[in-house]
Amino acid sequence: MPDPIGSEQIRRIAEAALELPGADGVEVLAVHDWGGLTRFADSAIHQSTAREDTAVKVRVVAGGRLGVASTNDLTKEGAAGAARSALELAEMAAPDPVFPGLAPRAEVAEPADRFDVDTASTTPRARAEGVAALIGTLGEGFHAAGAHETVASEVAVATTEGQFCYAATSQATASTVVSGGDGGTGYAEAWSARIGDLDPEAVGRRAFEKARDSQEPRDLDPGRYEVVLEPPAVATLVAFLAYLGFGGRAISEGRSCFSGRIGEKLMNDRITIYDDALAPGTLGLPFDFEGTPKRRVDLVSEGVVMGGVHDRRSGKQEGVPSTGHALPPPNPHGPFPLNLFLAPGDASVEDMIRDTERGLLVTRFHYSNVVHPKEAIITGMTRDGTWLVEDGEVRHPVKNLRFTHSIIDALRDVEAVGSDTELASEFFFSASRVPALQVSSFQFTGASDH
Amino acid sequence: MLEVVRQAVEAARKAGADYADARWVLEENESITVKNEEMEGIDRSRSDGIGIRVLAGGFWGFAATARGEDPGEVERTAALAVEIARAASRLPREPVRLAEVEPVTDTWETAVQEDPFNVSLEEKVSLLMEASRRMRAVPGLSFAEAMLDFYRKRSALATSEGAAIEQTITHSGGGIEATAIGNGELQRRSFPNSFRGHIAAAGYEHIRALGLLEEAERVATEAVELLSAKDCPSEETTLILDGPQMVLQVHESVGHPIELDRVLRMEEAYAGTSFLEPGHRGSLRYGSDRVNITADATLRGGLGTFGYDDEGVPARRVQIVEDGLFRDFMSSRETAAVLGERSNGTMRADGWQNLPLIRMTNVSLEPGDGTLAELIGNTKDGMFMSTNTSWSIDDKRVNFQFGCEIAWRIRDGKLTEMYRNPNYTGITTEFWGSCDAVCGPEEWTVWGTPNCGKGQPGQVARTGHGTSPARFRNVRVGVR
Repeated sequence: MPDPIGSEQIRRIAEAALELPGADGVEVLAVHDWGGLTRFADSAIHQSTAREDTAVKVRVVAGGRLGVASTNDLTKEGAAGAARSALELAEMAAPDPVFPGLAPRAEVAEPADRFDVDTASTTPRARAEGVAALIGTLGEGFHAAGAHETVASEVAVATTEGQFCYAATSQATASTVVSGGDGGTGYAEAWSARIGDLDPEAVGRRAFEKARDSQEPRDLDPGRYEVVLEPPAVATLVAFLAYLGFGGRAISEGRSCFSGRIGEKLMNDRITIYDDALAPGTLGLPFDFEGTPKRRVDLVSEGVVMGGVHDRRSGKQEGVPSTGHALPPPNPHGPFPLNLFLAPGDASVEDMIRDTERGLLVTRFHYSNVVHPKEAIITGMTRDGTWLVEDGEVRHPVKNLRFTHSIIDALRDVEAVGSDTELASEFFFSASRVPALQVSSFQFTGASDH
Repeated sequence: MLEVVRQAVEAARKAGADYADARWVLEENESITVKNEEMEGIDRSRSDGIGIRVLAGGFWGFAATARGEDPGEVERTAALAVEIARAASRLPREPVRLAEVEPVTDTWETAVQEDPFNVSLEEKVSLLMEASRRMRAVPGLSFAEAMLDFYRKRSALATSEGAAIEQTITHSGGGIEATAIGNGELQRRSFPNSFRGHIAAAGYEHIRALGLLEEAERVATEAVELLSAKDCPSEETTLILDGPQMVLQVHESVGHPIELDRVLRMEEAYAGTSFLEPGHRGSLRYGSDRVNITADATLRGGLGTFGYDDEGVPARRVQIVEDGLFRDFMSSRETAAVLGERSNGTMRADGWQNLPLIRMTNVSLEPGDGTLAELIGNTKDGMFMSTNTSWSIDDKRVNFQFGCEIAWRIRDGKLTEMYRNPNYTGITTEFWGSCDAVCGPEEWTVWGTPNCGKGQPGQVARTGHGTSPARFRNVRVGVR
């Protein structure tokens, strides 16, 4: 394992940038990350990697103007050089009339169990053993593709307003697609801050069972169906809803699907969504990339849209404090929630299937994208396990279908919410902790051949 | 830096690698964004390091470090790459074999007339402020954004087979975006393309030729007009797509399916596989006889243009589809060897931190005949769609759906009613089979797609696509 740089050494490096002559204010974001990823396909390890990188991103304020420069040279010289470059850019920029100032000194919480030495020092051989355990669960004629990753990072933010915060985190993940037999596939994933809590064998078993039960999928006409969405499919809806709706700047600028609709009851009573980086069961930092401590934000409460998350700039525009949701600068999109929760209910997936007259059980969605940003309509494909449910029983697997549907409408038409939650991810977004959902009407607009 | 990467290769060999290559990469970016005549962002970034790839006992290993100037760190990283390869032997597989390539010593760089990093910030900011001002002059507009992006990559590659290659690649891009918001709608028009404009392998001369100021008023006017336009109706019709939308159509429904690593299921877990199989070459009808597609890493101006790929294979032009018939894949030394062939040179890595993957070079729809005006003029009834907003395609690249910024009804050879929120859907080979016209060289442009995602850990590639407008019959549009 690379040696962590540590809080005090990073503080000394940051100070080399904070002391920049000619600047009115300086903010330093320093990152040191390392890890390995063991990637497998056709039940063999084919691409296995390790990397260590550093980054210093310096934002300089001069005469109300801002410039940002970054380097991966995390030394005093590198930080000072980036600061000089940022000042040069700031001097060419136009003044920013909305600039809210840099983050002042503030205490940051220290959530327990976010950094695990065993995870940060996992060897390639240990990851290979995890992959072997995952693949060992497959039946004859099936093969697995996926990734088993262990990463760790140190992140610090320092400002000339007196703030300095530092946190070390770790993360272990395992995910796989199992395929084989007569055309069915299955998917499962798991996330943890600790390698010791990750069970690759369970991931393999679950994906294999889905692949086994997905054999010989049949054609099904697109149309409106009831759906039971397992957590990875729900994570897609929640992540895109955050992208389209929960940014404070997007709300105030009218770009959000919730602009002008704060306080309205747009979703079912059963739907409560919040962002909370400090809660157990999520991964990540206790402060944002401006150095503001993160705090819980209620986004949807029993179906009522409560508001969005803020960074310092969007907070100033709205006359409220930052909620600690700034992304790294420069960030034209504004603040974003990275630790989303959809609150659990009291149903099991089995209950939901039993209550479905004619519908679909969906494992996950694939390659989703926006159709109508203001109505939160997205499109995407089902993937790795979709079944027809009739009269409360799973009948047979079906070939993949394309959906085109409003996320807000789906969350309005929720019939039941799962009692168990999982951390699940959607392509480019961070993982959300979500339960399964039963939705009374969901529109499928096309079909594929597999 | 050739000496450093040669030492890295030597360190890997000493640690037990049967084959090794090492790449030093320095990437520099400059990005400027103006929104409503205010600075939205102005930033520069710089990152360099060394990535070492080895074969040991027939298994791959890869390790990368940002501390490439430290010989001890390079030795440690090389040994780690070998350790990773040995750990991979925990699960049996056929040993990796590499197709042969002649090792070369060479240098290569993008042809640049005016170095974009030497143009003053003052001039760049002034251009964007004026473009934003002209858009904001249109009543009803909510946001007027203008942006410039510049990218330079210097690299040095050494292999244990004796290759030693230094390359410098320069990209310049710019664009404008006008956004109108009202009545529950958010409508955007972009020029010359969406997602930060038109990016090319070129210098600042490319920016000067874009015409951002000249098009600003039209772009803003169309964005505002879209707010009161009707929604694109749901129907099956004749569809003409403009060049920028054809970029995404080619990228998603041709570029990705022809990646041989996807075909061989190496990417199954993440972005998926392909409907194509090795036996489809020379037999599968990909499209109509109007469809000719190439993957050409020698194309001037393309983001997928280089001298050599990251395995040291010389850039080349590959016929992918010829008169509608599928001819070939994009390959690497490993995947080509599986088919008993030589690599056609498409391996590229994102920065120094990642191992190379098969990535699109410049995958282009070759031009046909005639102008866009002539194509619309000989279309009795249909729809013309322009500029991509979204894309989605299944894990085998069969069922797709794309959204565009704007559409117009074509009646008796003329553009008539404007529609907002247009989209269309189809099945890859059926759609390309319905292509009955591709516009000619006078409409053909090499566009850039700088945000192509693939692999785990995720990598982003910069790819190019030459396209001109094309017409397709019996397409389902207005998916709701």
